[in-house]
Amino acid sequence: MKRSTKRSVDQQKSGRILGMPEQAVKIATVVVLIGIWEMLSQAGILNPLHFPRPSKLIATFWELVTVGYPTGITVWVHIKATVVRILQGYALAAVVAIPMGLAIGRSHLLLRATNPIITFARSIAVISLLPLAIVWFGVGELSRILLIAWGCFWAILTNTVQGARQVDVNYINAARMLSTSKTQLFFRVILPATLPRIFAGMKIGLGVGFMVIIAVEMVGTIKGLGALIQQARFYYSSHIAIDGMIFIGIFGLLISFTLDRLERIILPWAVGLEEVER
Amino acid sequence: MSKDGVEVLVDRITKCFGADGMALQDVSFRLFTNEFLSIVGRSGCGKSTLLNIIAGLLSPTEGKVLINGQPIHGPGQDRGMVFQHSGLFPWLTAVENIEFGPRNRGIPRDQRRARAMELIELVRLKGFENKYPRELSGGMQQRVAIARAMAMDPKILLMDEPFGALDQLTREDMQRELLRIWETKKKTILFVTHAILEAIFLSDRVIVFNSKPGYVKKEFVIDLPRPRQKSSPQFMRYYEEIYEAIG
Repeated sequence: MKRSTKRSVDQQKSGRILGMPEQAVKIATVVVLIGIWEMLSQAGILNPLHFPRPSKLIATFWELVTVGYPTGITVWVHIKATVVRILQGYALAAVVAIPMGLAIGRSHLLLRATNPIITFARSIAVISLLPLAIVWFGVGELSRILLIAWGCFWAILTNTVQGARQVDVNYINAARMLSTSKTQLFFRVILPATLPRIFAGMKIGLGVGFMVIIAVEMVGTIKGLGALIQQARFYYSSHIAIDGMIFIGIFGLLISFTLDRLERIILPWAVGLEEVER
Repeated sequence: MSKDGVEVLVDRITKCFGADGMALQDVSFRLFTNEFLSIVGRSGCGKSTLLNIIAGLLSPTEGKVLINGQPIHGPGQDRGMVFQHSGLFPWLTAVENIEFGPRNRGIPRDQRRARAMELIELVRLKGFENKYPRELSGGMQQRVAIARAMAMDPKILLMDEPFGALDQLTREDMQRELLRIWETKKKTILFVTHAILEAIFLSDRVIVFNSKPGYVKKEFVIDLPRPRQKSSPQFMRYYEEIYEAIG
């Protein structure tokens, strides 16, 4: 009920705002905000050390692409390092979390046994695990990938568990009336019924991956968007830090967009059915 | 309509749910081959529980269900079920939903597709076979659910308020459709509803259920030729008698 009301309100909103096309309004809002920012900086109201001018950010942007920061390490190197790390950690998390979540969600015993552990472990921030990870796995790539995996893992796990345990009993009864074996019940009912929720967990997990990247790239590397921001922080180069943030944001946006597209292709029947839980 | 032999024998079924007490108490009745039998009663009178027991989805606390003299052990191919909320799998198209059972049994693709398309025609959904359930109206979804239940060619159809969630006009269409299917396919139907008019319109016999605990209170043989006129005086007399029996 609630959901459908919400959707209809959204539909009213979409299309045109104040007689202008929605896309134009969105772009105009961003342009105006940046314009105000530039003017306040030019007028000396904003401290340039705290709030670098947008025009300076664009110049820095170009510098990062061509020269790099530190010199020689262009933004492409940073992006590649970060994306490879996130994807490795993310894939590792998914491979472990999905089967585990399905098992926990379909077993009362496992669910009750693991519930407190899951709630406890998911509240531990990745950054607080950094010292331990360094002791256990060193300052190399392994530590970073495992920390990213840790961050993504809980989002994928908890969503998979919820999805698996909430499979509509009507589906299960209907299947039982149709000569369904235990294996068939899992692969032909439980798994597809849980997929939308698994996908939601994968989307949130990826977001977490981008969020923890700063913490993960804090030590032992100068390559990666997180490392770039760390370096910039070290030298009070706010303009570089902000550009790094923008790169991360753009990447998050692109990947989330790709996942939405992918979901429409893989789960055409589920689009709009599931509300993503954060 | 010729009725030969006892198809289903419900023998002194009692069902208790823990502390909630007794849902069914000593329920016995027979369902004859090719018969259309309805169970009416107030919401929560245990009629759905009884249907689930006959389906094999629940086991009774006491008593047994015999089909052609054989006690049942869980669900079987001889029984198909249609639920109130269709229980259609949203990730499968209409035709894939119908093929679900045959595919579980390993029937080759071509064969089961051909059979499913026959059923699509039977329930008059040609052109909608590749739609997902969410793209279909409530009435169409129940047509798919009926076709899906019939895909294993069960002799007995168990129907748990299948039209309960439909609007009145769709509901009346579906009642006529169900009679047409029943007459062409020669099925034995056990139909659970709380709508008295629906029960009289459809059934050969109507069983009235008592509420909490559920037991058979009274039985009516509906001796009216089909198609039945809901406004006829005899029809109204049945209505009044059954209404009174429910109490």
